[in-house]
Amino acid sequence: MSQIEIRDVSFTYPSRSEPSLKRVNAEVECGEFILLTGPTGCGKSTLLRTLNGLIPHASGGVLSGNVSMDDTNLADQSLAAICQHVGLLFQNPDDQFFCTVVEDELAFGLENLGIPPFQIDARIDAALTQVKLSSEFRGRAISTLSGGEKQRIALACLCVMQPRVLLLDEPTSHLDPTSTRDILEILRQLNRQNGITMVIAAHRVSEIAPLCDRVWLMSHAEIALDSPVNRAFSDLSPYRKLGVEVPELAEISEQMGLPERPLTVDQAAQLFLHSDKFPNLSAPTSNLSNFVSHEQRHQGSRNLLASVENLTFQYPRTEIPALTEVSFEIGEGEVTAIMGANGSGKTTLLLSILGLLRPTEGQILIADIGRERPKLRKLAGKIGIVFQDPDLLLQAETVNDEVAFGPKNLKLSRSEIQDRTKEVMSAFDLANLGNEAPYSLSRGQRQRTATAAVYSLLPAILLLDEPTAGQDFSHLRQLMGVVCDTVERQNKTLIFCTHDAQLTLQYAKRVLLLRQGELIFDGRPSEAFSNSDLLEHASLIAPPRTQLKWRLTNSQPNMPCR
Amino acid sequence: MINLDPRTKILMLMFFGVLVIMLDSAASLLVCFLISIGLIVLSSPSWRQYRLLVVFILFATWGLIYSQAIFYNASPRTVLFTLVGHDVPIIGSITGGVRVYREGLLHGAIQSLRFNTTLAIGCFIVWSTQPRDLLLAFVKLRVPYSLAFMVNTSLHYIPLIAAESANVIRSQRLRGFRYLQFNPFQIIRGVLNSFRPILTNNMRRATHLGEAVESRGFSPDIVGNQRTYLKSLKMQPRDILLIAAGTAILVVVITLKAMYFCYANGIFYAFWLRGMYTFVREIL
Repeated sequence: MSQIEIRDVSFTYPSRSEPSLKRVNAEVECGEFILLTGPTGCGKSTLLRTLNGLIPHASGGVLSGNVSMDDTNLADQSLAAICQHVGLLFQNPDDQFFCTVVEDELAFGLENLGIPPFQIDARIDAALTQVKLSSEFRGRAISTLSGGEKQRIALACLCVMQPRVLLLDEPTSHLDPTSTRDILEILRQLNRQNGITMVIAAHRVSEIAPLCDRVWLMSHAEIALDSPVNRAFSDLSPYRKLGVEVPELAEISEQMGLPERPLTVDQAAQLFLHSDKFPNLSAPTSNLSNFVSHEQRHQGSRNLLASVENLTFQYPRTEIPALTEVSFEIGEGEVTAIMGANGSGKTTLLLSILGLLRPTEGQILIADIGRERPKLRKLAGKIGIVFQDPDLLLQAETVNDEVAFGPKNLKLSRSEIQDRTKEVMSAFDLANLGNEAPYSLSRGQRQRTATAAVYSLLPAILLLDEPTAGQDFSHLRQLMGVVCDTVERQNKTLIFCTHDAQLTLQYAKRVLLLRQGELIFDGRPSEAFSNSDLLEHASLIAPPRTQLKWRLTNSQPNMPCR
Repeated sequence: MINLDPRTKILMLMFFGVLVIMLDSAASLLVCFLISIGLIVLSSPSWRQYRLLVVFILFATWGLIYSQAIFYNASPRTVLFTLVGHDVPIIGSITGGVRVYREGLLHGAIQSLRFNTTLAIGCFIVWSTQPRDLLLAFVKLRVPYSLAFMVNTSLHYIPLIAAESANVIRSQRLRGFRYLQFNPFQIIRGVLNSFRPILTNNMRRATHLGEAVESRGFSPDIVGNQRTYLKSLKMQPRDILLIAAGTAILVVVITLKAMYFCYANGIFYAFWLRGMYTFVREIL
């Protein structure tokens, strides 16, 4: 008998006419590790919510079919009973914390169940050990934790309930590569050593696939593919068709015409060493037309747009500066990525360039603006930013109004506003969504709308803060493709923060690596990602393709850090 | 002072809440207000918190004094100056004239002292108490757990919502929007538009939070004795002393006010209480 059985489950949210789950059938064996993937909006989160009883217990809508665990229908159990067996980890830990101290957060669930305090104490220590944190964390304020630590605490909040099944909804989407690796290692141990069944919904297939036993590929509210991991990637076309990320190493193998689909660097190295062909391991790049090399830029062939000189910034009531003596120059038409671990100072740097944070020391000079920053509204048309949460920017009734909002504020003529709105909407592939309400759009469309709304002011510098968060592979590539193409064509400058190495390799012509507020590298992405020491120093991890290259050539070229 | 039991702090808020309603004189209300400011200073807030409090106090004071000065309708009232004469076309004939009254100004000042005292003590409690202790205090004071949790969570999310609102406003300004402009309809439209993302994000957050707490065994039906608590609160002698002092002051003030009420309405008068009557009239 399977641990979880999903029988003919269909579910429609109250405000929707189309079901979010359509006659889903699946089984989960005890101790299995399942990767649930699919494009944004395909029903992954809804399926997870039916597995922990939030649907139907805490949600409206129409549910049919059965979800049973150990032969007991979840619909017949209370949420308090289900949560002792099934834990659900959400995408953003900040959305699920409501206490200020770690210990209180960990105790919350057990207190609700009426567990005696002395048992709560012991369970908290055990849960912290499971997520590889010391008991000293008990007294820490949650606001002082890094992104990775927060997600570990969120996981510990579930472990403390001693569940037999863990459901995880995009648990690594807000984390840097090192924190992601740590969380995945913890999940692997919980699965292998404690026998906890895992169902993990994720867009980052490459990272999770090596850990899992089975893959569920969802499409249009249905499970389109349910396959053991060793057969799940035999045919990569369903993933490509749905715009889902394909494991990079499996893709290389497919390109070589090999039948095997390696998921780890070890597997790929073994495969390719015994193959008579050698894979093409050069990193993919975007086909932007007027790419200017790092050398050309430093020779001054481009107009200087911004200059950051010895920038130091320290937040009030902190002991360590968020940025320390950071210096670099930005020229017209550059596409620059800023990378580094959570808390390394990426967003602080963006906000400093924008002028929202006043440098503690040093200065930032921007062409046409100078030393003294004008009022924010005077920056319109010079610098634009899309914050990490694009929804905060969407305020108009229609997409058309949203994109026209900026040009209207610039007091352009009616015909200019119309022309520019039309042009930008066309460039960002929003032309057919003009009369839609921004909030009714999918996450990817909302991100595009927010970016287009900022871009309609034609800022000389466009700043994107973590455009990857919560985006699926195809939407992300679509957004970055459109932005980079438009920026390059119109000779604008793009600076974006990201944890995604492949995104940087594909679109950026320059990368700034930050470590604890210090700039440790400024150069080409391909140079940065071929230096293992540098990557380790910046808490980054080389993409599988690069790791494989190192393995096959048995060399790891190192370059001096700046 | 900041290490007081949170129950003591909540009871202090209640004492002051009743006291500022009972007191009528500007001098005694000013003393209450100064005590509340003293508490704030003792809780060592950040400059940002000071700034926030000052802004709130200034707005409240301005709003109350301005509105009371114009709309004061008790007698006697003395016109200090006229804003809109009764002979001004349309507005004058509709309103009968808009004037600023001296008694209204004083009444507004008294009301603002009342409001600001409770505001400052509320800030003192929130800024000097861990949310978990506040939650425990509410529960110990027999507030239903689900209500206490709701209050506590709201307080926890205020800084987040403030930060988010600031981001919305920044985003609009960076797109060239002017909040202060000559066209009031544009201002109203801009402000209303800025509410849209804030409201939507908060609804999303509330949904996520609701799901997160329910996934961890929380239910609005939880009653106090079904739930356990890892930590417990314990009153110290100084807490008991402060509560006793607060209660005593409140009882004395209420008693004095009641006796003065009886005297003023001809219900009871005693010759030997004349000093007390004077004290209540002049000081309280």
